[in-house]
Amino acid sequence: MTTDFNVAMSGLNFRTPLLTGSGTFGYGDEFLSLIDYAPFGGIVTKSLSVRPRPGNPPPRICETPGGGVINSIGLANPGVEAFLAEKAGILPVKETKVFLSIFGETVEEFVTVMSRLETLEGISGYELNLSCPNVKQGGISIGGDSSAIAETVRECRNITDKFIAVKLTPHHTQVAPLAEAAAKNGASALTMINTLVGMMIDVETRMPLLGTVTGGYSGLPLKPVALAKVWQASKAVDIPIWASGGIVNGLDCIEFLLAGATGLQLGSVLFADPYSPGRILEEMDDYCRRHGVKSVEELIGALEKP
Amino acid sequence: MIPPIAEIGLVRESIEISPNLWDISIEAPRLASVTRAGQFAHVRVSAGFDPFLRRPLSIGPIAGDVLRLIFHIRGEGTRLLAAKRSGDTIDLIGPLGHPINVPKGHNPIIFLTGGIGVVPLQILDDQMPKERERVFILGVRSAFTIPLSLSEAMQRNILWASDDGSLGYHGNTVQLLKNVVDGLSADKKPLVIACGPAGMLRGMKKFCIERNIPSLVSLEVPMGCGVGACQSCAVPRSDGKGYYLVCKDGPVFDCLDILLETASLP
Repeated sequence: MTTDFNVAMSGLNFRTPLLTGSGTFGYGDEFLSLIDYAPFGGIVTKSLSVRPRPGNPPPRICETPGGGVINSIGLANPGVEAFLAEKAGILPVKETKVFLSIFGETVEEFVTVMSRLETLEGISGYELNLSCPNVKQGGISIGGDSSAIAETVRECRNITDKFIAVKLTPHHTQVAPLAEAAAKNGASALTMINTLVGMMIDVETRMPLLGTVTGGYSGLPLKPVALAKVWQASKAVDIPIWASGGIVNGLDCIEFLLAGATGLQLGSVLFADPYSPGRILEEMDDYCRRHGVKSVEELIGALEKP
Repeated sequence: MIPPIAEIGLVRESIEISPNLWDISIEAPRLASVTRAGQFAHVRVSAGFDPFLRRPLSIGPIAGDVLRLIFHIRGEGTRLLAAKRSGDTIDLIGPLGHPINVPKGHNPIIFLTGGIGVVPLQILDDQMPKERERVFILGVRSAFTIPLSLSEAMQRNILWASDDGSLGYHGNTVQLLKNVVDGLSADKKPLVIACGPAGMLRGMKKFCIERNIPSLVSLEVPMGCGVGACQSCAVPRSDGKGYYLVCKDGPVFDCLDILLETASLP
């Protein structure tokens, strides 16, 4: 490959723009024998919370026609203390940048988890999963409320100098106020987007296909939604955007770069094709050679106006 | 346990052994040489991403470099898989899950299988020491829906149960299991290993608890990654401590460890 894949983001250099999407890659160990880490600029772990969470009642996954997947895992995780005791040692911090995803139901929970994780060495930063109900605010999503986003990011920024990506939901028509709230309070990047809420029904049994009825919709159908949100966010703020939603090949990545993304998260694609990272880089390299692009950084936000 | 490997297999033969029931022989030397009884393969059904997910399938009998996948067409994914022909390639990840660990001190081992639930237990039958006494029960809808070849059926000395009475015992496998257990001498300490429809597994567990017979089940549920990362394939633990993952903790469980009664099984 001849293309320069290095990208700089908020003071960090990434050897490629490729990242894993939180929740699809565990804590980096499960795929070790199947996946080469070299194509990744970084990995984002499954979300960690203060207390262990057993997760949602099954079934937890179903497919939709047209290449979609809906999941209802329920942020199952061992909790931050068990993670530190059992899992932290196996993170591949020497090979690649590691970002720990954090989930909380209150601002205090985000801060508690992050302060415990700050004791770890070799971690490049965090991704705040803000797509969850804020218990103190009567269940309103933190990620849907710009003042709650501002407070959460500010409090987290107060305790770390590391990279903080803020992951937002696609369920709000106005991206700009939410993106600005994160950027103005110390976010290093925005992750656009979390899954859409979706559901499927088995008409024969009249039962939903997921134990919680609705779940998080990902896969191919998400890409146009994610592209639009990435583009809107990149217009609103100057910090880098991590794109997430329906990426399965190199041209998807090129589209997201043109729309303004700097990081590119591979999520559900890893279930179907764990070897996709290498293939995707080759496909990007092919595009870049055909178009005389020397460095992928040239493509970021290079969308031509209609 | 051997870490999972990726292998592109070569389809050698694809046979529809009864309506919508397919038996594909795949040349996959690495997988064939390391797979142990109870493990499964995560199979890519589409060259693209529609349907999106792989299908977790039990690995059937292995002969040399060739393993077999035996499955019903249930939807688009298995329909695409059934369309594979000799010479086509097939993208496999495996062997996944833990091999079956058959506890010592039990005699006989009773394989209780329903339909294609027979698939994973055939390898166990092949890999278990010959001197170990076993009883092989297989339930089918009728004599026309047998999920294995005639020569295999002969070789395995199967006790049949059929819903319509066209083959062997007329009734369900759990009733036949009861007859088998009732016929054992008092000094026997049987162990049941079951794979099949949810109703059969629940009936078996209830019976085995009543008779104080240990039992293992091999489960199949919808799955995402197959390696424990996504946590899609959860089954409730009976100790109340959340869930086990079929891909990583299973697919074979002691019946007492999981809530089969409330588990979501296809």
